[in-house]
Amino acid sequence: MQRYILQRLVQGVILLAVVTSIVFFVGRMTGNPVDMMLPEDATEEDRQDMIVRLKLEGTVMDQFGVFIVDAVQGDLGTSIRYRQPATDIFFSRLPNTLLMIPPAMILAIVMAVPLGVISALRRGGIIDRISATIAVLGISTPNFWLGIVLIYLFSVTLGWLPSSRMGGPLNYIMPTITLGTFLVAGFMRLIRSSMLETLDSEFVKLARIKGVSETAVIWKHCLRNALIPVLSLWGVFMGGLVTGAIVTETVFAWPGIGRLTYEAVIFRDYPLLQAVIIMDAIFILFINLLVDILYAYVDPRIRFE
Amino acid sequence: MLRRSRVLGGLAASVLAAFSVAHAADQEGTLVVALETLGGQTMDPILEGRAPHAHYQAPIYDALIGFNLEEGGLGPGVTERWELAEDGQSWFFHLQKGLKWHNGDPLTAHDVKFSLERTMSEESIASRASALRRNVKSIEVVDDHTVRVYTKGVQVHFPAGLSRAVFQEGQLMPKNYIESVGVEKFRAEPVGSGPWKFVESVPGDYVEFEAVEGPHWRGTPNFKRLRILLVPEESTRVAMVRTGEAAIASISPESIREVEAANLKLVTVPGTMQAIYQFWGTYKEGHKDSPLADVRVREALSLAIDRQQIIDHVMYGQASWPMPFATFSYAVDTDIAKWQEWGRTALRYDPERAKALLAEAGYPDGFDMKFANTALPGTPYMTQIGIAVADFWQKIGVNVDIKHYEWGAFRLLYRGEQKSLAGAASMFRTAGRPVAVARYSGGFQSKGGHHLFGDTEECNDFCQAYDKLHQEVVTAQDAELRARKTDEMLTMVADSWMAVPIIEGMGYWAVNPEQVGKFDTIPGRHELGDVFERMPRPEQKPW
Repeated sequence: MQRYILQRLVQGVILLAVVTSIVFFVGRMTGNPVDMMLPEDATEEDRQDMIVRLKLEGTVMDQFGVFIVDAVQGDLGTSIRYRQPATDIFFSRLPNTLLMIPPAMILAIVMAVPLGVISALRRGGIIDRISATIAVLGISTPNFWLGIVLIYLFSVTLGWLPSSRMGGPLNYIMPTITLGTFLVAGFMRLIRSSMLETLDSEFVKLARIKGVSETAVIWKHCLRNALIPVLSLWGVFMGGLVTGAIVTETVFAWPGIGRLTYEAVIFRDYPLLQAVIIMDAIFILFINLLVDILYAYVDPRIRFE
Repeated sequence: MLRRSRVLGGLAASVLAAFSVAHAADQEGTLVVALETLGGQTMDPILEGRAPHAHYQAPIYDALIGFNLEEGGLGPGVTERWELAEDGQSWFFHLQKGLKWHNGDPLTAHDVKFSLERTMSEESIASRASALRRNVKSIEVVDDHTVRVYTKGVQVHFPAGLSRAVFQEGQLMPKNYIESVGVEKFRAEPVGSGPWKFVESVPGDYVEFEAVEGPHWRGTPNFKRLRILLVPEESTRVAMVRTGEAAIASISPESIREVEAANLKLVTVPGTMQAIYQFWGTYKEGHKDSPLADVRVREALSLAIDRQQIIDHVMYGQASWPMPFATFSYAVDTDIAKWQEWGRTALRYDPERAKALLAEAGYPDGFDMKFANTALPGTPYMTQIGIAVADFWQKIGVNVDIKHYEWGAFRLLYRGEQKSLAGAASMFRTAGRPVAVARYSGGFQSKGGHHLFGDTEECNDFCQAYDKLHQEVVTAQDAELRARKTDEMLTMVADSWMAVPIIEGMGYWAVNPEQVGKFDTIPGRHELGDVFERMPRPEQKPW
């Protein structure tokens, strides 16, 4: 098991290095912060002066060398726009995003598990059809649009909920629905198909022959096994949550890392963009590592291999 | 010893008028404003590079030069009058007396010297800091209320850059406070001299201020608190105004219909920008035979555009007929009436004349051209204007190959040799500024960023003539001469049809009339940081 974890860690570090390099070079292909900070009639002299002030002199390879040396020492640079260490800004915004993700996960579990199981048990029935519709809508509806619709319905028209921003429990409702809808849809369809497969397996038939109650068969034996593929995809969905947060946080004026990413891209704030993406990548790699380990524990076949 | 004295007429009356009768006991409630950006959201003026400073730094910091509140452009600020010295090599700034910082210290000439030097320091990334470094030789405190700035050569437009009507470099910072508490504490707990005191800044979320209690020369706030929220999505901002969560929100023309339908008030700020198109690198050897190198063709392309249709349908009626390039009704040294008339006639819609000019130039069946369409942050409607312009050109037979660029990507194209833009047209913008010549410098001088007439290596007779004229404008100490030279400069550029205004845009604000009373904006300054203090509560001045 230790060897397995070590192997995954090494893979993670290699992946992180690749992601870091891509972000560094591709980010610089799309524009630069000097142009975004100077007025449109700035002279070349103004530009050169700003390049010096922002410490952006030298070739891209020179800058990459400096970046790598600093990065391995834990310094991801100073945000060009905010003039603060990029990692400090990231960690100051991270709690706001982390407050939004658990409610979305809970929403997904609370809705997707019962609907997925019932859909599998009543295949072709009314609940199955309704949940299939919800799934299609959930996956195909852009969360950007969904967020705006929710604001107009529940804030502007009905006046029940605050339209945006952080605050009390009511402030979490619409961002949670917006962020969690695609999770509900994805989990639900996955649990349904996984349940269908499990329900047809030999051990379930054996349990029924042995007289185990139907409730125990479904909710204990079947669901537990059906959740294995869901668990393996959880890491992927976490990545989706992080990217989904960019849109959700923008629509709901939520000062988290999603919107920080958006701002870093728009203003070509290289150090901040690099820091945010690298930290996001570390987070997603960590979640995936956790999932892999859990998967190995849950599924003995993996462990024994 | 002073050859020219620029004492602003009616100064005393203006300053007195700006004093509001509001007192601490009259200040109530919180004015909530939702904006699409808070820029760098730093309370240190030298660390903010762009326009959002005029939203969220203006409430706390006064500027050396202020606004003409009614007409736009320059007016008295902390400096009540300013004068160019006899030899033209230095400027005198005479400060108002009795001004204080929020911590009670007096605001003196020492603070002004300190602020300008700090803005020019190595640490500063203010957008025009580089220009200040180039133009300022030294700064002298003459007495507690007089500062003398020695410039490198004659700088007749120098004071304009110290007003928020133009840029941010004139914002004043407290010398004693910064020197005693240090820069870090100043950034965390800033002290200014404006009508609002700093309370709190939550990064990525909001900045909050509290009104000063006593009378303030800019106007004493009627609200007790001011909260400026960062709400990037426009639909959300409009929703917040509709629900009363915000009193005011910045919007684009696309939301005008919704604002009107929801019985909100639409407040526009005239003369904040011009949407223009311009032709790049037509002077270059490889493009001399291009149709766009022919002035008749360029004029024809302007005549092909029905600007009224763009104003009515793209801008929802909320835009104006433009004056010449980068020229607005509050421009200095400019014959406004003459150039407004020029706009109405020269920029008319006349497709028949356009076709005749094309035929005359040898292109009766039109030609192929490339058009880079782009929009600056905060002006997404420019993309729609660009599409409309391309459609009008198609109608007179010009085959337009239009490509759309995100602004950051577009800015890469006009650096260096401008290879991918040379011989092509593009959308662009000029911000509303009272001194047009600064924008002309970037656009047309051979050493300018755009250098549409020629560059430092390839500058033909026309380009050289422009460079000479430009230099005469920026060094003309005599007001009459400067006005005449400015007129010649405008004429030269207008007749070249190289950078052509399409419409004059506005700043657009959705306002909830139950949250804030009727207020006036400052022409040309989209941002409201110098307006908040004069906004009445709804019961004080209903709509």
